[in-house]
Amino acid sequence: MLKIKNLKVGIEDNQILKGINLEVNAGEIHAIMGPNGSGKSTLSSIIAGKEEYEVEEGSIDFDGEDLLELDPEERAHKGVFLSFQYPIEIPGISVSNFIKTSLTEKRKALGLNSLPTKDLLKMMREKMELLSIKKGYLSRNMNEGFSGGEKKRNEIFQMAMLEPKLAILDETDSGLDIDALKIVANGVNKLRSENNATVIITHYQRLLDHIVPDFVHVLYDGKIIKSGGKELALELEEKGYDWITKQSEE
Amino acid sequence: MGLIENLKTYSEESNLSEDKKELFNSFLSKGFPTNKDEEWKYTSLKKIVASDYNLNSNASDIDNNTIKKYSLGVKDKIVFLDGKLIYYPEIKGVKIFDYSEFECRNDDALNELNSALANNGYNLVVEKNIVVEHPIEVLFFNTTENGFSQYRNKIDIGENSEIKLVEKIQDLSNSSTLENHFTQINCDKNTKVEFNKIQNNTKESKLINCMNIYQEKDSTCEVNTLIFGGSFVRNNLNFEQNGSNCESNMNGISLLDGNQLADNHTFVDHKTAHCRSNEMYKGIYLGDSKGVFNGKIMVRKDAQKIDAFQSNNNLLLSESSTIDSKPQLEIYADDVKCSHGCTIGQLDEEALFYMRSRGIGVEEAKAVLTYAFASEVIEKITVPEIQFLTKKLIASKLNVDLDFSL
Repeated sequence: MLKIKNLKVGIEDNQILKGINLEVNAGEIHAIMGPNGSGKSTLSSIIAGKEEYEVEEGSIDFDGEDLLELDPEERAHKGVFLSFQYPIEIPGISVSNFIKTSLTEKRKALGLNSLPTKDLLKMMREKMELLSIKKGYLSRNMNEGFSGGEKKRNEIFQMAMLEPKLAILDETDSGLDIDALKIVANGVNKLRSENNATVIITHYQRLLDHIVPDFVHVLYDGKIIKSGGKELALELEEKGYDWITKQSEE
Repeated sequence: MGLIENLKTYSEESNLSEDKKELFNSFLSKGFPTNKDEEWKYTSLKKIVASDYNLNSNASDIDNNTIKKYSLGVKDKIVFLDGKLIYYPEIKGVKIFDYSEFECRNDDALNELNSALANNGYNLVVEKNIVVEHPIEVLFFNTTENGFSQYRNKIDIGENSEIKLVEKIQDLSNSSTLENHFTQINCDKNTKVEFNKIQNNTKESKLINCMNIYQEKDSTCEVNTLIFGGSFVRNNLNFEQNGSNCESNMNGISLLDGNQLADNHTFVDHKTAHCRSNEMYKGIYLGDSKGVFNGKIMVRKDAQKIDAFQSNNNLLLSESSTIDSKPQLEIYADDVKCSHGCTIGQLDEEALFYMRSRGIGVEEAKAVLTYAFASEVIEKITVPEIQFLTKKLIASKLNVDLDFSL
């Protein structure tokens, strides 16, 4: 589904990603771990289409298409979803209005009619239940005055509504208490299928207790320095990043 | 020739009373305001009054479909066609008359011109203790090519009464027209008034709209000014509070593009203690458009415990659009709470990317953020038909197919 080859990315004169190779197939869950400043968020931003980065070399192929040629909205239409580390507050737009607009625009791009309001609301209620979201939430302004946990839950709610093929969860676990973490993990697990894939970007192992990855990659200084199965996350938790970064430097 | 000459010819042909002649001469001695006049510093009438206008209006007909097309779709309508009152509703406790003369206290040139030569308009009287259930729409249609028209309206709200009005001026001639309107509202004790102005006229139409509102004790009056169309709009909105516990609210949205200019001048005269005023004007400017905001709050010497708030927020969405914003506070009492704020900004890039990453295209994302910016004002309007229309106008002006609902 997603094939990243020798991706080198910089911003201004700093090279941040120094040759990333990653392949994600349908049905898989990948975890990308790494210390702060290793390039995790840059990787997720570049997949979603943030414009201030410069791709110096390499390619990102998504279902046979050159993802780097597409606008952010086109990527979303093709099924890419990024759960933001810091979701944006938009006063004046209700959650329901926002989600309706994004779903309608996606359906429009795919040549589908917009959903009747009744069906849309029904779908929203189902997904809200999945994420234990309380009534009244739909009419609140988008992320305005939301707690950290509410913002992250709102991201997963949008993911549930948009049903992406590839979801990238950028530090979705940070700022969540354990109950919220369980709810979010449960939601992600339930949305999982043979046809979609999830990339979890995280600093901590904690989330991976609840969403079990098929692959774990360690990102350090712009490169994936080690890949392995779920046990790699546990090893990292136990021995810390130093263990692996020292190995790599040697 | 220009408008002054047109007006002179017209006044000579009309059989003006001595009083009116005097007013007209006073107007002539002042002339149209120029940029030297402090109140007209950023807004120029020079080109507008240099053109010739037709002062003798058409005698034409209008069919129901045309009225319907431009109407909000509310039940009760007052309809003018080229100056003539052609339709008004019958509502219990409400009397509607054709134009009758009345004096106003303003002595600026444009008001003098209006009182000297205007002979069209309506007088609406709401009796005591009447809650007018449905909003009343006032429609002014013009079919006169390059017409100059003036209306002079008076609204009297009796004690303990309530009313909502919507005003719309619509040109059907598709030519360069100029209208000079004056409307006075007298709010008696304990009244509640909401007056909405939808200013979405044709491309070459120009409008000067002056409104004086006199409030008595315990009255609340709200004026919402929604500017989308017309090449030139100048609104003078003046409130005078003459009793305690008055509330004056003003809200506005200007969404302009091309070469449009919209100027909102507001003035609140707090003459008595324990009163409030709230002002919220939002401007969105595209293309080469220009906005002017001038908000003056006067708190007189004995008007203690005044709570006055004013804000003017602007989005400049193009390189060459401009806004001149000028708040003015004149406070002569010592125990008051007055504040004002003005912002000028662009759309938030982070928010745009966030929305695009959720599948919303650039133009749509910009429109959603623009709507979000204006929504605070839309929420103040209590007539659902106007809220709906405002959303529709924002979408159509920004060329997107969105309804901003749910």
